[in-house]
Amino acid sequence: MSSITLKNITKFYGDVEVIKNFSQVIADHEFVTLLGPSGCGKTTLLRMIAGFEKPTTGEIMIDDVVVSDSENFIPPNERKIGMVFQSYAVWPHMNVFDNVAYPLKINHVKKSEIKERVETILDAVHLLPYINRMPNELSGGQQQRVALGRALVSNPKLLLLDEPLSNLDAKLRESMRYEIKEMQKKFGITVVYVTHDQTEAMTMSDRVIIFNKGVIQQIDTPINIYKNPANEFVRDFIGRINFINGTVNDGKIIFSDNQFITYSGNKSGDVLVAIRTDSDGYIVF
Amino acid sequence: MQNLKYYFNFKAVLIFIIAAFLLLFNVFPICYLIFRSFFNDSGFTLEAFKRIYTYSLNWTALRNTLITATLSMIFGVMIAFPLAWLVGRTDLYGKKFFRTLFVMTYMVPPYVGAMAWLRLLNPRVGTLNVFLKNLLSLPDNPFNIYTLGGLVWVLTTFYYPYAFITISRAMEKMDPSLEEASKISGASPLKTVLTVTFPIMLPSIVAAGLLVFISAASCYGIPSIIGAPGQIDTVTTRIIDYVYVGSAEGLTDATTLAVSLMLIANIVLYISTFICGKKQYITVSGKSTRPNIVELGKWRIPITILVSLFALIVVIIPFATVAITSFTKNLGKPLSLSNFTTRYWNILLTRKTIFDSAMNSLISASLAATFGIIISCVMAWLLTRTKARGRQIPDFLITLGSGTPSVVIALALIMTMSGRFGINIYNTLSIMIIAYMIKYLLMGMRTIVSAMNQIHPSLEEAALISGAKWQRSFRDVVLPLIAPSVVAGWFLIFMPSFYELTMSTLLYSTDTKTIGYELFTYQTYHSQQTASAIATGILVLVIVVNWILNKLTKGEFSI
Repeated sequence: MSSITLKNITKFYGDVEVIKNFSQVIADHEFVTLLGPSGCGKTTLLRMIAGFEKPTTGEIMIDDVVVSDSENFIPPNERKIGMVFQSYAVWPHMNVFDNVAYPLKINHVKKSEIKERVETILDAVHLLPYINRMPNELSGGQQQRVALGRALVSNPKLLLLDEPLSNLDAKLRESMRYEIKEMQKKFGITVVYVTHDQTEAMTMSDRVIIFNKGVIQQIDTPINIYKNPANEFVRDFIGRINFINGTVNDGKIIFSDNQFITYSGNKSGDVLVAIRTDSDGYIVF
Repeated sequence: MQNLKYYFNFKAVLIFIIAAFLLLFNVFPICYLIFRSFFNDSGFTLEAFKRIYTYSLNWTALRNTLITATLSMIFGVMIAFPLAWLVGRTDLYGKKFFRTLFVMTYMVPPYVGAMAWLRLLNPRVGTLNVFLKNLLSLPDNPFNIYTLGGLVWVLTTFYYPYAFITISRAMEKMDPSLEEASKISGASPLKTVLTVTFPIMLPSIVAAGLLVFISAASCYGIPSIIGAPGQIDTVTTRIIDYVYVGSAEGLTDATTLAVSLMLIANIVLYISTFICGKKQYITVSGKSTRPNIVELGKWRIPITILVSLFALIVVIIPFATVAITSFTKNLGKPLSLSNFTTRYWNILLTRKTIFDSAMNSLISASLAATFGIIISCVMAWLLTRTKARGRQIPDFLITLGSGTPSVVIALALIMTMSGRFGINIYNTLSIMIIAYMIKYLLMGMRTIVSAMNQIHPSLEEAALISGAKWQRSFRDVVLPLIAPSVVAGWFLIFMPSFYELTMSTLLYSTDTKTIGYELFTYQTYHSQQTASAIATGILVLVIVVNWILNKLTKGEFSI
């Protein structure tokens, strides 16, 4: 059971407003992706859920506990959240076992149980053979899975991932996408995932929140966003779409080189035609 | 192809010149020093070692050096680590101010600290002693500076900045998400410091500690100012005493003792590279997140007060004491209007000998800094941008030179550069310039290397692809970007050379006295007030230089 409620969140760095009045409920078991270009505020929002940043105003609840508002603030170490960082943050002075066992040690889990649970989780992320390796003996993908194992080992109900795949190569990224999704299903956890990669967002999420300049552009399922982008920014950010200028004239849209397509809509005058390279039909604005 | 060949030769020539300089003026003299301690005119002998170590005073000196250096190392790190963490990673009030204050102490000659604490904790009339006695109505003055404890106190308060700087730098480089990962795993801030921050910092902490150890063990100014009245000998003061004996035997004894000191320093250096080399943690760092600031919460005010108190005791009171001393007529009486005089400042500003010495220091320090920074730039380029064969040789020699205790460098230069091998530069400024360069080159080189490492090679490659030759790309792209570090590096060599004492004490002649030596003579033999006036002058210079650097580099750099 873990839902997140964000109410009227704003965040200022000095005079710069990076999050503008954000409200949203993320349901239990949901996989929600925060998608947007760099500097849009998505990582800031994630770090506020984790407790590394305080919202300037607004309220954050995890389940029905207020973790952050104007009076209360629960520090990250008391929130019982799993998190994977963009840089993995695998501790260089501990081996794979110690890295993954750390959250359990902090929670005073019995030694025998720690061993068992670490081995189970390492098996799940395919790292069991590497249990005694030091991080500098692991590849980027392996370090990333250590980070994932560490985030999952204490059975958190909520997992936050901050661009976890951006330092991996394309092929590894694809298989990790699949693995992360599998983990979510297997452990039945709520996931908030931050990325600037459309493909990751579209293929993994139950819902996608598209951000730009601290403002929500659209919140919907991947398929709905694909079919019905809310505005030009979303359309531009999501698909491989070509925009062509044309003029409506007598049931046709005529382009600059006198090519035309038939048109039966109610727009007139100069229009913008969006054509997707990967889908039939077109949309006229 | 012709061009390429010339290019490679060019690098080889540079490496050769720098290596030859260091081999001639550092390695060869030290080898000769070692040779002399084992061989006399009739062949191999351990006579000198026997003579040195059958004299119990030398054993005491060796013991004193080891005790004071070890304790200064331990206390220095115990102070520096929490300070570096508080200043770098928490919401401590006034962190920028504290940072500048602690780092600036690094640029102050250590003997100034000895002068100040001498005044404050003199067992009979020490200002702080008397104040504490009256405040707490004690039967006696609580402290005596003329003790081993006093020596450790002054060494610690003046060498902890070395550790502070080393640890701060490492902490800045650490990926903050390593700490965040610990917090999200459920660890409290304290637990995070103990299980993640501290172990990851450990190699730097060890390096910092050993730096303090070597500096304290090879320090001459502090033990000679505090130790002499308290009759506490250290290896460095013994070496200089032996040299001042003047006889051939004295010189041999000095040499032999110097070899012992060098052995200690080298063992420590070896341990340090062994530990640090083995555990160099390279962390993949992603995009730069905002440094993770730990909120001190209810501890914020108490801790800020504690740090302020520390700064007051360790930095502000000593410096103020020295400044006040320079205006005091009678040192036995408290400061008052009738006891105020500008006489000693008049002496400072009018006496020709002081002026001449200051000019000597200015000239030799400027030249040492200028040659030093040229070598540093060349070395930084060779090390970070080329794969030239043998480029690590001068790098190693430079590191070796700065790890060699100052007394050893100076003594070795005296033994070899006074005509015995066809070079006679003894009694000239050149020998000082060379000594300063050997000792302080590393500071300049490190500064520029780290600046070069921050410039991604693609910036230069972009210039090359635009058609610029490497010389041109260096001038147009690299130089403007490293200019602030070049200026900072210049001052990092200039300042310690300017007020240098240990090597100057051995290398000066009547025409080439330096300001450090001048100050030291006034302090020990003539007038503490004049010495304090000189010291205050140096302090002002440090502050001004720091301020200029800060303005010049838009706050990016200060020392």
